[in-house]
Formats: sequence, structure tokens, C-alpha cells
Amino acid sequence: MSPLGVVERLLQLVPVLLGISIVVFFMMALTPGDPVELMLGDARATDEQRQSLRHDMGLDRPMHERFLVFLRNAATGEFGMSFHHRRPVRQVILERLPATIELTLAALVIALVVGIGLGVLAAVRRDSWIDRLSTVTALVGVSMPGFWFGILLILLFAVTLGALPVSGRIGYEGEVPFVTGLLLVDTLVASKFASFFDALRHLLLPAVTLGLAMAALLMRVTRSAMLEALAQDYVTFAEAKGISRARILFRHALKNALIPTVTVAAIETGTLLGGNMIVETVFGWPGLGRLVVEGIFTRNYPLVQAAVLLYAVIYVLLNLCADLLYATLNPRVRS
Amino acid sequence: MRTMGHAIAALAILAPLAAAGAADLRVGYSSDITTLDPANHRSRVTEGLVHNIYDAVITRTDDMKVVPEIAQSFTQIDATTYEAKIRPGIKFQDGSALTAEDVKFTFDRLTKDNAMGGKTSPRASLVGPLADTIVVDPLTVRFKLKNPWPIFPAYLPFNQVVSKAFVEKVGTDGMATQAMGSGPFKLVEWRRGDSIILERFAGYYGGATDIPPAGPARVDRVIFKVIPEAASRVAALLAGEVDLIDELPQHMIKQIEGNPRTQVLKTNGTRSFFIDLNNKKPPFNDARVRQAANLAVNRQLIIDRILSGLAVPLATLISPDSYGYNASLKPYAYDPAKAKALLAEAGYPNGVEVTIDVDNAFKDQAEAVAASMSQAGFKAGVRLWERTALTDLWKDPEKHDRQMQFRSWGDGALDPVGIFVPVLKSKDRGNFSGYSNAEVDALLTAADTETDVAKRSKQYEDAQAIIYKEAPLLYLWLPQDIYGASKRLKSWNPSPRGIVKLHRAAIDG
Repeated sequence: MSPLGVVERLLQLVPVLLGISIVVFFMMALTPGDPVELMLGDARATDEQRQSLRHDMGLDRPMHERFLVFLRNAATGEFGMSFHHRRPVRQVILERLPATIELTLAALVIALVVGIGLGVLAAVRRDSWIDRLSTVTALVGVSMPGFWFGILLILLFAVTLGALPVSGRIGYEGEVPFVTGLLLVDTLVASKFASFFDALRHLLLPAVTLGLAMAALLMRVTRSAMLEALAQDYVTFAEAKGISRARILFRHALKNALIPTVTVAAIETGTLLGGNMIVETVFGWPGLGRLVVEGIFTRNYPLVQAAVLLYAVIYVLLNLCADLLYATLNPRVRS
Repeated sequence: MRTMGHAIAALAILAPLAAAGAADLRVGYSSDITTLDPANHRSRVTEGLVHNIYDAVITRTDDMKVVPEIAQSFTQIDATTYEAKIRPGIKFQDGSALTAEDVKFTFDRLTKDNAMGGKTSPRASLVGPLADTIVVDPLTVRFKLKNPWPIFPAYLPFNQVVSKAFVEKVGTDGMATQAMGSGPFKLVEWRRGDSIILERFAGYYGGATDIPPAGPARVDRVIFKVIPEAASRVAALLAGEVDLIDELPQHMIKQIEGNPRTQVLKTNGTRSFFIDLNNKKPPFNDARVRQAANLAVNRQLIIDRILSGLAVPLATLISPDSYGYNASLKPYAYDPAKAKALLAEAGYPNGVEVTIDVDNAFKDQAEAVAASMSQAGFKAGVRLWERTALTDLWKDPEKHDRQMQFRSWGDGALDPVGIFVPVLKSKDRGNFSGYSNAEVDALLTAADTETDVAKRSKQYEDAQAIIYKEAPLLYLWLPQDIYGASKRLKSWNPSPRGIVKLHRAAIDG
């Protein structure tokens, strides 16, 4: 894709995001449930006090006005105050975002390594027990609910074996100076290796839980792409030339087989973000997904609107990445 | 060599960073706080946690008695005036003295419009008609009400005292993420969504003398770890990662009881469960049908089977622990024959079809009620809704044809004014059944401002006798609050307030 093409795609973001803004705003605003009543709960409050809360939340203005304010805010990256935290939404979201990014990246790495590794192995040893086992594992991995799998892992590794922690990002002993917000990076930057391993121990189970379904999917995509590539004439030709088996597999076949895998992986990373909400709840992971779910239940409009918009931007950008990667890997679409 | 490197890395991964110190108390908490500012939230979780950092003028014992905390004495001067004498020598965590000025500042911040960075405190309604807080001398304040409000002392423990100088220094924005109070613990760090780390405040004045043993906190540190999923909270307790967990679901009690190192702690809650009957429309506009519904539910059986026995059946919607409770009323006994007879008398000899609206969280309980009713002349079904959608739908009883709604109402002050008035006074904010009775209204209105404690109690008791007979609601039960704890945890009891204050808690090494 030419640089101009990339710019064009980025410009297409604008109408997409505008559309999403409209949907998100009105979906939230039209959902039954009054944020003021939800906040006050059962305890008493006078009409005057209700009115003053409503005013502080900006809910006393007509809906079209609120929408315009929301659009103006969104354009500048400010989303007003979170109803319940009573702090700027931007601040609340940015505090939680690094945890989600770290978990997503870790899950992505696990999914790529496991998915591609097993996929290649299954294709090379086609119809062997390894192939069958991988296929069954993949089927189980895709169908198993992340929630249930997470609890099983906790019961085995944390409760029974006592080897890994149940929840959280890092033990409360280790203090880590904030650099990127990604604990694995920050602990290394600060040369705190014990904390690094502690963070890694906390990350392991949630990342495996989150990455499982994607690993299974990638395994199946890689396997079929690899089988297709291995049946091509150029592989037969390379074998005839006497090129080593490893070189044929990794330089010739895998390079081509990876094209669909990488595209699927880029798009599926967006799905990982969605899966985060469940995994973060099970493992007490202090990420954005959990915050959004809580926000939906308490009708925290500014928070949910901002977060959904953020998810949308990430999703659209990931799709763009997928297209760019596809073009890079596949010379046929480059022109 | 390389393999050995891998092996060492693997070992490092499996070895915990450091064992918990002997005097660290770790709590698995079901949700994170929304702010550290005691005046800027409406969340019981936040209130409970922040109470470990900030003390209040008066507080409550575990059995809900109102007792002075930073106050030495708390007295009523006249119908609209209360006086608190502050204990001398109380220090904030920065070493400054706590005076009457701080108390005045705290309550002005709660009650005055725009007193919190241009906004008004969402807790303003929790101090009722408080008009002004007057400093009499450096250790005496007077609370002046606009009109008599007998439950002022019952509501005062909801709000904690802040330092005027500190608030002025950090501003309302700073108060959200920083904390400095006069309570037993100092804030070390709040890792948003993950944990709140507190350490003992050595200069603590000791807390309420009515809650012995007075003195500084008995643990060095308290760590609240946020673990929203109940199964994970239980796992953390069983794995020894935390010493106390809140919101233990009934169906997981056996796991905790089955482990030699853990125990279940419980207390009566403050949330009454009931079913709104639509008093405005047939069939429940007839008192006989409403009584039949109350006779048709086998409360004890449902409590035993579905709630693991951890609830008390209610005669009306008032908790037996509440002020003004009418002990002469016994919960409706299960009597299907009588229910059928009443239905026949009301014109439904072949039974009547009804639907219970419920949200997902209480589906099991509603289904059990429906099953019980179906054996006593009703043909009862259950319909699932999202909670807020249901609340919106039921808000105006005149405007819908729904028949029954399974719900609850909480009252942290355990005074009928917080539950009886909103749910059953004509057109009050939580009256979704459409019930209206002039006699009940008159009694409730009189009790609102009656300052004679015994007289006021009698008014509520009389009103209960009426709603017992007229049965505007299907009264159900009061569930217990359940906690799981390590047996290392000592001298901490759950409080019906539903908050976790740990100034007296100790932990065995």
C-alpha cells in the first residue's frame, strides 16, 4: 500500500468514528436506568439534592446539547468527568489502559508462539498423533469459555499447587516506578529482577487464559495454510534441488503460509481486547475491560462512551495493520 | 549451561517474591473504591474502606449501637440542636491537631452548595436537614438542624471527618487520590483497580472507647486486594493469599468450611427482600389475594434450601435488629389451604395466573417463590429483566400492568425511616406497589419529627401492624452478610453496616 493509501485509510477513520460516536452516545443515553438514581441507591435525598447531582453530571441539559458537548469533547480527547470517580474520564482510563495492553500483548505472544508452532507441527506430521492431538486441543480451546478455563487454572496452579498467584498484577511488596505502565518493562528498566519475575508470575495465568482461544484459531489457520503451501510445485522443486528440509519448511513454505495467519492474528487482536473484560474479572486484573463493565452497570455515560470509542479506534487501526501486513507479505497485492 | 539457565528462570517464576509479613492483614475485596474522598461518593465499599483512614464524630459498634468516636460525648441540646465534645489530643496523620474547626469544615463541605470544587457533595442527603455547624470552642461543635430529625445521630456515622488544612492544600481533585485522616491507618498507595495499601498510624488516639480494646491498630499493614469474581476470591482465601474476603456467595460456603485453615463469618444484613404486589390492578388490588400470596410462600424451606439457611424470615419489611421493630408480629406461616380459601373468597376459585419480574441475580429465589405459590392456588411464573430496566418499568405503578416484582431495599441506619417510609408511604420514592393508606401515612409523618424515642417507636410498631394485615407486599427475608476468613484473623467481627473496619483486628503469625 502506498503512503497515500495509508493516509486515505486513516482519513476514512473520521466518518467511521463519527458513526460509532453516534451509536455509542444514543445507545447509552437511551438505555433505561437513571445514573442519578443508580448512584443514590436506596438512601434518602431531596429533589433539590437530586437536581444538583443531575446538574453536576450535566444530565439536566437536553439530549442534543449533550451530544454536541460529547462530540466536541471527543474531538479534543477530553470526555468530561466520570460520574462515580468524579475525576476526568481521560485520567481514569489512562490509569487502567497499560494493564490491558500488557495483558493483551502477552496473550498475543502466547497465541502466536503456540498457535503457529503447533500449526506447523501438525501440518508437517499430518495425520500423526501430534496432528490429531493438536486438532482436538484446538477444538477444545476454541469452545472452552475463558471464564471457566481461568477458574480451572486458578484451582490447579494457585490453590492446589500453590505455584502461581490467584489475582492481581504484582505483589504489594514490590514498588515499581512508573515509566511505560507495562510492569514487565518498568521492572526491567528499574533493574528490579525479583519484581520482574513476580509480575511475570501474575501475568502467566491470565495471559494463557486470554490467549487460548486465539492460539487455537491460529493453529488451525496455520495448519491448513501450511498444508496448502507444502503441496505447491515450488516445494516439490526445492526438494528436488536437494535443499534441506528445515530450509524448505521455514524459508519456503512457512513464509507463504503465514500470510493468512498474520492477517487473522491482527484482526483477532481486537477480539482479545473484548475477551479482556472476562479475564480481567476472573483474575482481578486492574485493566480497562473491568472498568467498562462496571461503567455499563452504573450507567457511567462519559466513561463508557470514551472507552468504547477508544476500543473502536484500536480495532480500526488493527484492521489497517492487517491490510498493511498482508500487502507486505504478499507481493501480489503490493501493486 | 543453557538448560540450567532455563531451569533457574523457571524456578524464579514459581518462587513467590516475598512471604507476607507476620502482621500484614490482606483482604480480598469485591470491588475497588471509586475515590479516597470521604465526601465525594455514594458507595458503601468506598465508605467502609475510607473509614480505616478517616474516623467519624460518632460510629457504630458491631451490634449497631451508636457510640462516640472522635467525640468524647454526643448529646442532644434541644429538638434541633446536637452537641459534640471532641476528645482532646487527637492528631491527624500529619501530626496536626484535630479541632472543632475541622469538624465544621467537614460538614460545611457536605452541606453547602458548590463546596467541592464547584460541585455539591453527593452525600449531602445523608446529613438530612443540617443547616449549620457551629464552633463553640476549639473542642466543641454544635449541629443545628432546620427542623427536628430524630435520626440525625443514626446517620452521622456515615460521614468521616477531614482535615481543613489538608483539603485546602490538595483541593477537591487531590482528595480523590490522596488521603490524610485521623483514623487507625495511613494510606501508602492506591493502585487503581488492583489494591489499596495501608499502614498503621502509630499516633492514633485509639478510637471509640466503647469498642474495646482502645489503642493503635494491631496489624502493621492492611492490604485490600480487589478481586471482583467470587470464585477467585474464594480461591485466594483457600490459597492463603488473603486473610479475609467479603461477599461470600452461599453456594461456596462449604468450600470455606471444609478447609481446616478457614472459617465463615456472618452477620444479619440490613437489606430486606420482598415482592412488590401491584396494589393498583387486579388481582392484587384485593387485600385477600395479597394475604393469600403471603400465606402461599414457604419462607423457611426456601431459606434452608436456596439460601443455605442464612437468612431470617420477615413479618414485614423491618429487620428484627431495627429500631421500632414490632416483635409481636410473626412472619406469615405457610398455609396453602388458607391461601386457596382466601383466593376463592376473592373470586378466584380456580386460582389466578401471576408473573414475578426479577433480575438475573435473584432468579433462583424468585423461581422458588413461584414454585411455592403454585402449590397454593396461584399459577406463578417468572420473567427475567435487567435490573435498571425493571426499576424504570415499575417506577410508576399507575402506568404498567406488571403484577409482582422481586426486589430489596437496604437501610444502613436500621431505622424504619430509611425503609418503611420510602417503600410504603403514599407516592414515596421507593413505593412501587402503589400502596396508599392514610393511617399509615399519618403515623409515618408523625414519626418523622417525633423526638420522644419511645413514642416514635410505638408509631412505627402501630404502622407495622397495619401493613402486616393489609399485606401490600409479599414479605420475604433478610439475608445475612457472609465473609470468609482465615483462622489467623482474630478479633474482627462482621458488622451489619457492611463495612470492613480493621482497627481492632489482629493476625496470628
